[in-house]
Amino acid sequence: MGQDKENTTSGDPEIDYKNLDKLRQYIGETGKILPGRISGASANMQRRITTEIKRARYLALLPYTDQHR
Amino acid sequence: MRHYEIVLLVHPDQSDQVPGMIERYGAMIVKANGVVHRSEDLGRRQLAFSISKIHKAHYMLFNIEAEQAVLDELESAFRFNDAIIRTMVIRRKGVITGNSLLYEEELRDKEKDIERDRLAAKSESARKAKEAAKEAASKEESSDDDGEAAEEVESESSESANEENVNVEESE
Repeated sequence: MGQDKENTTSGDPEIDYKNLDKLRQYIGETGKILPGRISGASANMQRRITTEIKRARYLALLPYTDQHR
Repeated sequence: MRHYEIVLLVHPDQSDQVPGMIERYGAMIVKANGVVHRSEDLGRRQLAFSISKIHKAHYMLFNIEAEQAVLDELESAFRFNDAIIRTMVIRRKGVITGNSLLYEEELRDKEKDIERDRLAAKSESARKAKEAAKEAASKEESSDDDGEAAEEVESESSESANEENVNVEESE
């Protein structure tokens, strides 16, 4: 896992806070954002993923943690 | 003029206001020479965590092109609307049209609901038809009781035959 860098061209419209299935690939079981070295995303991509996950979290589309009651 | 994407979360109890709100805010933008490129009613969605003890919210999505003044006006309108529990405004680089992924999901859900209602109606009508058929059958039954009695006797005799077989097996 995370051995191969993903072919993620920057400007990929797939990374969007509305694309929950895509973003869920980049969060762990506890809801944390996976670090780039684990997820295999390039630094540029990882930054974009991070901001989009945070947007989705703010809108309660994704959890911040698995401790939510 | 800049492009913005706005997401609104509305209290589920105020869900019925949503179409009116879409119209009202759309009119506000258009009146100030803005453009609404996309406005979607994403329906009621489960929240990933509860916000002020609410577990569901009605989502709305707008993609607009407007001046700063219009956006300020909109933001203050959102703030003073008690039905809106959360808002997000982000800048976008260009015109965005076409259904968003969340809207596609909502449409699929709606279709499923319609399908389910249709199936329920179908099974309901089928059940009614069956009941009607049963009623008709019961009426018929009363007319040919004799035939059924004969059948019963027959089945009993076959049962006793089975018993005999078992007995034979045991004795062996």
